[in-house]
Amino acid sequence: MNRTALFAREQIRTPFTLVMLIAVPAVFVVASAGVLAEFARALGGGLAGEAASALGAGWAAAFIAGTLGFFQACSARGADRRLALAGAGPARVAASRICASVALAVVASAAGFAALELRTGIAHPGHAALAVLAFALVYLSVGVLVGSLITAPLEGSLAVCFVFLLDVFSGPGMTEHAAPYSVSRKAADILIAAGLGEGSATGDWIKLGLVVVAALAAAFAVFVLSARSRA
Amino acid sequence: MNRAAVATRLGFREQRRRPLLIVLLVGLPFFFITRAIAQTEEIPRRVGLPGGGEVLTTMRDIHGADMAAITIGFLAGVVGVFVMQSARQADRRLVVAGFRPGEVLAPRLVVLGTATLLVTVVSLVVTALSFTPQQWPAFIVGNLLVGLIYGLLGALAGAAVGRLGATYLILLGAMLDVGIVQNPMFGSGTPPAWGAALPGYGPARVLVDAAFASEFHAWGALAIGVAWTATLAAAVLGTLGRLVAVDG
Repeated sequence: MNRTALFAREQIRTPFTLVMLIAVPAVFVVASAGVLAEFARALGGGLAGEAASALGAGWAAAFIAGTLGFFQACSARGADRRLALAGAGPARVAASRICASVALAVVASAAGFAALELRTGIAHPGHAALAVLAFALVYLSVGVLVGSLITAPLEGSLAVCFVFLLDVFSGPGMTEHAAPYSVSRKAADILIAAGLGEGSATGDWIKLGLVVVAALAAAFAVFVLSARSRA
Repeated sequence: MNRAAVATRLGFREQRRRPLLIVLLVGLPFFFITRAIAQTEEIPRRVGLPGGGEVLTTMRDIHGADMAAITIGFLAGVVGVFVMQSARQADRRLVVAGFRPGEVLAPRLVVLGTATLLVTVVSLVVTALSFTPQQWPAFIVGNLLVGLIYGLLGALAGAAVGRLGATYLILLGAMLDVGIVQNPMFGSGTPPAWGAALPGYGPARVLVDAAFASEFHAWGALAIGVAWTATLAAAVLGTLGRLVAVDG
């Protein structure tokens, strides 16, 4: 079994964690479908109906992936340092850790998207699926970044929650004008459009791709740097 | 000084070495409660009160009344998961060294209770800047009960399913229970009948009464909240007591 598969297995060796990876996005999408539109209206946003449900799927995948990325980065510091010293090198250890997290984030995104599809029968399923995955990848990067910089699990978990809640309250749909620091803004725009039955322009996809690639690259670089400084 | 007092002092010293934790426990409630209330529109909304009858209020006031409880539930739950998790190894060694399980668990519960109290105080002070409940004492008790219940649930979840699973469980649970099912911002303004089975029901009804009624009527809800707290405290002592004693 290669390193990536071993790292993925390490995170889900408790069967309950695997259950939660699938159940949390699905339950959140179903439970929040009826209330997100009301919540958005109360906050002055213009989100309605299936667009609200779609955004819920993105948030659920983001939350799961962010927490997962954080624990991937912080929970195995000692073991990673020994692996790097033993010849695997910080870059390869970082790549394996991030690839393992991406695999698990794909599982969580698929669960959220499946729940969304069953709940609403979304008009642009391909767009919605990719946007949900983009949410997960951006937040996976946030989690890895935080986990590389903050060693304590409690503080790191709260820091990931802080970024997530800041994003929820300032992102598209929940406010009239999305804040520029909303990290999931581009993914949310495409997901909301898919929920409303509209496609998104090529330019929007390029911007989203750049955001995802930049986020993953930043997470990789910080993870490698922190692994080097530890080694 | 007896051994439990020494363990309590050391538990607090351990937390003092984590300045970022204090910053987050103070900063998160301050930022989100202020922002959530300020961002909410003054849309009229009818809310059912525990003593019967309804009150016409606004979405902003309801958010003012419930945002503190949501924040306290989230933070106390996560603190519960990690305070107990991080302590288990050290506590086992203390038991091997001659401490009784109760002597090592009681200080952890004191630390958890103090963190819950800190988050509750900060959340209430921040809430007071934008919203004034009709009955402050009941409002304080309701929020404290939310924190204690979710802090204890976090401790149990951390012991049962590990850090990652417990974090998911607690944050999802608090969000669904306090944030959606018990939240008068959604649905009919009163929780559904099955919502009474959830841990946040009692404190949430106390909070609604405290926020919008001029006299306190939610005695039954208060009793439910206290019963949840006492039962969970007994479960935490029993479960974690066995866990630290097993390997000893």
